[in-house]
Amino acid sequence: MKILVTGAGGFLGAHLVERLLAHGYTDIRCLLRERSKAERLLSLSAAYPAAQVEMCFGNLRSKADCARALAGVSLIFHLAAGLKGSPAELFADSVVASRNLLDALDGREGFPTRASRVVLVSSFGVYGVAALPRGARVDEQTPLETHPERRDPYSQSKLRQEQLFRDSQREKGFELVVLRPGVIYGPGGGAFSNRVGLQIGPLFFHLGGSNLLPLAYVVNCAEAIVVAGTHSDSAGQAYNVHDDDLPTAAGYLRAYKKQVRPIRSVRLPYFMTRMLAAALESYHRRSQGQLPAIITRSKAAAAWGGNTFTNAKLHALGWQQLVATSDAMAQTFASLRTQGKPR
Amino acid sequence: MGLKIAIVGCGKIADAHVEEVRKIPSVRLAAVCDLEPIMAEQLAMRYTIPNWYSDIEAMLDAEKPDVVHITTPPQSHLALTRQAVAAGCHVFLEKPVALRHVDVEAIIQAAVDAGKKLSVNYWPNFEEPALELRRLHEAGTLGDPVHIESYYGYNLGGEYGTAFRRDPEHWVHRLPGKLFQNVLDHALNKITPFLPDQHPQLEAIAYCGDHAAEGNPSSQLLDELRVMIHGAQTSAYVTFSSHARPIEHSLRVYGTRNTARLDFMARTLVLERQQAFPSALGRLFPPFLTAKDFLRQGMKNANRFRQARFHYFDGMRRLLSEFYLSVDRDTAPPIDYGEILRVSAMMERIFSQVYPEVFA
Repeated sequence: MKILVTGAGGFLGAHLVERLLAHGYTDIRCLLRERSKAERLLSLSAAYPAAQVEMCFGNLRSKADCARALAGVSLIFHLAAGLKGSPAELFADSVVASRNLLDALDGREGFPTRASRVVLVSSFGVYGVAALPRGARVDEQTPLETHPERRDPYSQSKLRQEQLFRDSQREKGFELVVLRPGVIYGPGGGAFSNRVGLQIGPLFFHLGGSNLLPLAYVVNCAEAIVVAGTHSDSAGQAYNVHDDDLPTAAGYLRAYKKQVRPIRSVRLPYFMTRMLAAALESYHRRSQGQLPAIITRSKAAAAWGGNTFTNAKLHALGWQQLVATSDAMAQTFASLRTQGKPR
Repeated sequence: MGLKIAIVGCGKIADAHVEEVRKIPSVRLAAVCDLEPIMAEQLAMRYTIPNWYSDIEAMLDAEKPDVVHITTPPQSHLALTRQAVAAGCHVFLEKPVALRHVDVEAIIQAAVDAGKKLSVNYWPNFEEPALELRRLHEAGTLGDPVHIESYYGYNLGGEYGTAFRRDPEHWVHRLPGKLFQNVLDHALNKITPFLPDQHPQLEAIAYCGDHAAEGNPSSQLLDELRVMIHGAQTSAYVTFSSHARPIEHSLRVYGTRNTARLDFMARTLVLERQQAFPSALGRLFPPFLTAKDFLRQGMKNANRFRQARFHYFDGMRRLLSEFYLSVDRDTAPPIDYGEILRVSAMMERIFSQVYPEVFA
């Protein structure tokens, strides 16, 4: 069985390839945009001499590249997505790219679309948590966002991407598995999720407080994607992905200050964050966008609304956390110590 | 006025058009269109625009807009302009106007032949300090322009620069003048109002300022450009730099009476006057006089901010308002077609020197 991993050059992609190799998969095609990202993947595969890890350079915005990447493939892990840039670029890299990939599923000789499986890596950002009461538990039954226009462009693009896959699945009949990771972190990743707070000028505004931080260490997340993506019972299902022993946002910030470097932070309680968001929204509207509404009430509720989380459905498939959160944080912070300022 | 507006092309710059159109109370944004339906849909969703289309013909038929904004890559501008004016629409074009000068001529001719108006998004020239500089020039405060320096800084590490650098198929790479063609309008259109010569002498040099790319021809993008322009009475320099920091957008007009310094980033216009004070006093006072000018400009900007008139694309809103007014009242559009053609002709001459193989 040939496996395609899109976004294989990314932060999560390389770990996914490693976990696939560790699980004994031996025929993997890595789709990546930048040739410079191939080196790490090739060195990973050197530890598995029986495996064939093929580098396929291309861009999912190109239909021809999609067709080339999918030739002979029956299991697709779709990780490629726009993470930053303008809203138009996020949609082009996440949604248009996904549509091209799905279009290219059809017409592959010897590989009927119905017999294919697509594993989509989505995001917690698709849930409509703003409508939930403060502290509500987010699980796979939580309704998806019904007001995408109120959300940030990244969440908008991921929501549209998921909708696209569900529509396509109904039409084409392939098996679809959706993974929704929380905050993916690890060496080589960023220091702070917005769920902890926002760096504005020289100050870090700590907005997460005692909220649980749905961390997914990159190795654990990759493991979850392999376990759910290859399990016979997972077709048609969605799984939230986060680790077991979650820290609070305040605990994470404390540990960062202790293990990486001290930073100047100001803690803002949730009610003040909501008031600030309302004021910013109001000024943004009145001034016709003279200052960006970096926090809105909807975004505040989604990021700092104090939700709790469960990964019980993922555990039921047999997933186990490979790296304990304390070790994962220590490894991440050790890496961040060698870097410059927090990202 | 009640004009009905539609936008064709839903990439990054379309956001700016939507936001500025919506600030003009007398017009209505009715629909957006993109060949890629997902892109049209996302723009309509994010700004709650009533309708979106993936076929311009269908949009023109159904919406019958008065003005069509064309914000697609320039490769498609000529065909889309012809389609829009044939459907009875006036056209507002994003820069660069077209791939070649001959296409710019054809675009303007198409609008003229159809009896429709056209304008181009030369928005920095409609910022308040830029308009003030024009007024000073017209009032004779500067005297006759002797020399002009237009400086345009570019951030290759920004959203846009990153997008086209990592995508070898990006439309910017297919422009005859590559990166320069996408931005040089904004450096040249600031010079032409002060340069009387229709066909000045022109010398351009370009090079790759990214030393990390040395020895790697595939990543060597020409990203530094210097142009010397020489007319009968007036000369000009154009500097385009991707590596100098901080990024600066500025214009300096040296006149026979006074010199004006316009900073587009800080939105300040300062006049450097002839000194009347004798001896050492002539060296003592100028910094204080200049500081006073900057303070006055800062206060003006603070006042604009207080009145919520200090948006990034404030010049675009002003340009659009004037263009819509010209459509409504059937008066001359805010940018003379001769100006657009002069900028385009100079751009083509610059690119033919920088990329002679493309223009051979």
